[in-house]
Amino acid sequence: MAGTNAKGEARGNFAEREVVITRIFDAPRALVFKAWTDPKHLKRWWGPKMFTNPVCEVDARVGGAWRIVMRGPDGVDYPCGGVYREIVEPERLVFTNIATDNDGNPILDGLTTVTFEEQGGKTKLTLTTRAVALVEYAAAYLQGMEAGWTQSLESLAEELAKL
Amino acid sequence: MSLPNPIPPDTLSTTLSALADPTRRAVLARLASGDLSVTELAEPFDMSLPAVSKHLKVLERAGLIARGRDAQWRPCRLQASPLKDVADWVEHYRRFWEESLDRLDDYLQALQSKEKKHGRNKRKR
Repeated sequence: MAGTNAKGEARGNFAEREVVITRIFDAPRALVFKAWTDPKHLKRWWGPKMFTNPVCEVDARVGGAWRIVMRGPDGVDYPCGGVYREIVEPERLVFTNIATDNDGNPILDGLTTVTFEEQGGKTKLTLTTRAVALVEYAAAYLQGMEAGWTQSLESLAEELAKL
Repeated sequence: MSLPNPIPPDTLSTTLSALADPTRRAVLARLASGDLSVTELAEPFDMSLPAVSKHLKVLERAGLIARGRDAQWRPCRLQASPLKDVADWVEHYRRFWEESLDRLDDYLQALQSKEKKHGRNKRKR
């Protein structure tokens, strides 16, 4: 049924906006963990290809802040930052990534969880980022749809399919 | 915006604050079935026309709806592209992490080969 499809698709598009990435690193777990929490290491790899990090400040304890200013190859700076929610050395790291608008007001919080597992001398890293505010809005958005007008779901599905 | 992003942050925050209101979400859901006039849109809500118009202005500013030119009819139409921007914003995280983790991998390899070399040098001495 188109309506059911519509809802399923819409959920896939909005309510479950979560990024999960798993990687195996050929390095001991303690070192991989340190690469995330020691600014000396962190500034060497954080960000997209060709980016540098002229500012990298890390207060690696629960409630402590991190702040990184990324500089693109075109010289444009991209500040980012957040707060550590959980630090379990060398297993688990949870922190927020705060996105701000032009006036510095937070508009979206990303919550990132990184787990580090030992696997025969290598390290399995699993990273999950959830866009917190986004998911909240999206869930409410879908509720509004379901409580509302059933005939609209089909056309909304068409709109969502274009996304 | 905390991450390099093709979407201007003010646009994204406008879209999200427009979506934050249940009446406006209901308006969007109704418009998904076709264009409607302000009067038609106002019908199911216990709300004055000016109050509904206010919501429509917010949606229009956010680019989530467009209004017809006809002075009498001025139908509202759903515009989905800002919703796509919101979806892209999250997808952007994936690209960011994939590239960062590539670099982390390279860095860890370089770091360890350097340590090994140092270790060998020490043993030689």
